[in-house]
Amino acid sequence: MSDLPPDLDAGDAQPADAGRGERPEETGALHEALDGLRDELRSRFSTAAAGFDWMSFYDSLRRRFASAGMRSLPAEVDDFGMDAGALERARPWLDALYTRWWRVELAGVEHVPRGRPSLFVANHSGLLPWDGLMICHALARSGSLAERPRFLVADWLLTLPFAQPILTRLGGVRACRENAERLLRGGHSVVAFPEGAKGAAKVFRQRYRVQRFGRGGVVRTAIAARAPLVPVAVVGAEEVHPVLFKVETAARAVGLPFVPVTPTFPALGPFGLVPLPSKWWIGIGEPIATHELEVDAADDEILVWRLTEQLRAAVQTLVDAGLRQRPSIWG
Amino acid sequence: MSAPGTVAITGLRSFVGQRLAERLTARGRGVRVLGIDLRRPYRLERRIPFERVDLTDPAANARLAEIFERERVEAVVHAAFRRDPSPDVEGDHELETIGTLHLLHACTAAKVPRLVVASSTMLYGPRPDNPNFLGEAHPLRGHPDAHCVRNRVEVEALVREWGRRRPDAEVTVLRHAWIMGPSYWDHVVRHFESPLVSTLLGYDPLLQFVHEEDCLDAFEQAVLDRHPGVYNVVAPGALPLSTLLRLAGKRNLPLPAGLLYRIRDLASRAQTGDPPAGFYDYLRYLWVADGERGWNAFGEPAYTTREAWIAFVSARRMRRYR
Repeated sequence: MSDLPPDLDAGDAQPADAGRGERPEETGALHEALDGLRDELRSRFSTAAAGFDWMSFYDSLRRRFASAGMRSLPAEVDDFGMDAGALERARPWLDALYTRWWRVELAGVEHVPRGRPSLFVANHSGLLPWDGLMICHALARSGSLAERPRFLVADWLLTLPFAQPILTRLGGVRACRENAERLLRGGHSVVAFPEGAKGAAKVFRQRYRVQRFGRGGVVRTAIAARAPLVPVAVVGAEEVHPVLFKVETAARAVGLPFVPVTPTFPALGPFGLVPLPSKWWIGIGEPIATHELEVDAADDEILVWRLTEQLRAAVQTLVDAGLRQRPSIWG
Repeated sequence: MSAPGTVAITGLRSFVGQRLAERLTARGRGVRVLGIDLRRPYRLERRIPFERVDLTDPAANARLAEIFERERVEAVVHAAFRRDPSPDVEGDHELETIGTLHLLHACTAAKVPRLVVASSTMLYGPRPDNPNFLGEAHPLRGHPDAHCVRNRVEVEALVREWGRRRPDAEVTVLRHAWIMGPSYWDHVVRHFESPLVSTLLGYDPLLQFVHEEDCLDAFEQAVLDRHPGVYNVVAPGALPLSTLLRLAGKRNLPLPAGLLYRIRDLASRAQTGDPPAGFYDYLRYLWVADGERGWNAFGEPAYTTREAWIAFVSARRMRRYR
């Protein structure tokens, strides 16, 4: 918008002498001259072409063209706050994490449903959403989806300073049914972690045991949006922050659900937040189709519960398969 | 009934009241406007009939009912609300909540068939657990520290209850987002007008505006046609605060949340007319509303959020010329 000439935005719906004193020195003289010219034109034209208000005609044209110029400016963020520019800038970092740090191996890309938005359902681990970022990055790199999927993020992460803008720009969306349904209906794929806080709160000896999938909201969402459910297993992510035990009382004071104690975290301060370079394996399983079900099947509790359990079992099976094929944590 | 013969506007001196009165009288389609406020606005001198009613007066309901019956009012626009948060907590409660109660009683007594109430998407409240797009059915959780928002939540509850008891009346509630445009002015505009805008360190929520003309379009249609129900009146699109400031060529002053709340709390306690510190929650968490229903009823807005912001910025000459 900086290429508009300065006279295009001068004098919009304000009396001629309002705000004249606030102008910067160098443009003040120019504005004086322009205002003078405009007054001159106004007096001439009103006598020359009686009955036609040239100034209001000019104003309406100006408004129309100014607005047309603005409409063509590229949108920097989409409705959910994902920023293509920020993703482009973050790509080298994400690539480095993907290929160098965790040496991610992706299996089962052929199962990704083509041409329709799907709901990816994965096992969750850790308070920081590394798994969501990496699944999205893996799917975006594989080229099996038309557009980068979004990952759902727990509420409390969005209350933290800096986490909120960074995660939003990289495609994180607050985890709730309204958002997931809206994204799927809008043609975007979504990565969900229905274990939620129970998954994030797993300590090291509970790793790779997939917890209860909430109350079946993920299945209800998929049925309502007619999106296939795709089970995804992430093996390796549950070792990046091995939680030895959790401190809950002190955590309430800072607003966290708990403070995890890892071999490095409170001891090394912020450096303890650097994730360990384990070897990752991301496996994608057979999708569970929901589009043949009626939309009101979302209210059928038995069906929803059965599908949820089927989905959880599928994720657990995939996780077990991934665990069996890896030689060690460090690959 | 589609277009009403006589429209009464409470709060004629408010932005919505005054501009809506101008638009309705300029239409020349036989719509008569009756203004109600404490004082006559200068610009509408002698052009429209005016009645002086103090909504905080205990006898205001009888007086309003008498006016509505005498003038055969067929639609009422209720816009007598504070534009900016004021330090007068009790006075605001009397005007906004009790004033609405008086107005509703008068509407019952005079059997007014159509009521349009100005509300705000601020009533949803800024919360980290809001969905990205708040629908009209989402509960109004308001803000615990801002009495102006609390009053308006009460107003909506009163209006909803009244509408339930009067099924023959058409009640329209228009919740508009922060208004931006060349001529609108309030505490939000004042905050964004300064060349150095204070923001919260580490927070960059998506914000949504509505252009003043689009907002007035919605009000005009709600008065002239049948549109019972609750509607969000917002512009399409939402932009992060940082992007808005960059578009305007302004600097921001990021301050840690604890410090900023403490400073602003002092300012509002000193009764400088600044909004309470809780106002900054609206620049911290998400409270973007879903405008789909409103767009279907009143048509697609002419300005997106970005365009409304640019209209405001270019009109205020805040931009640094490059």
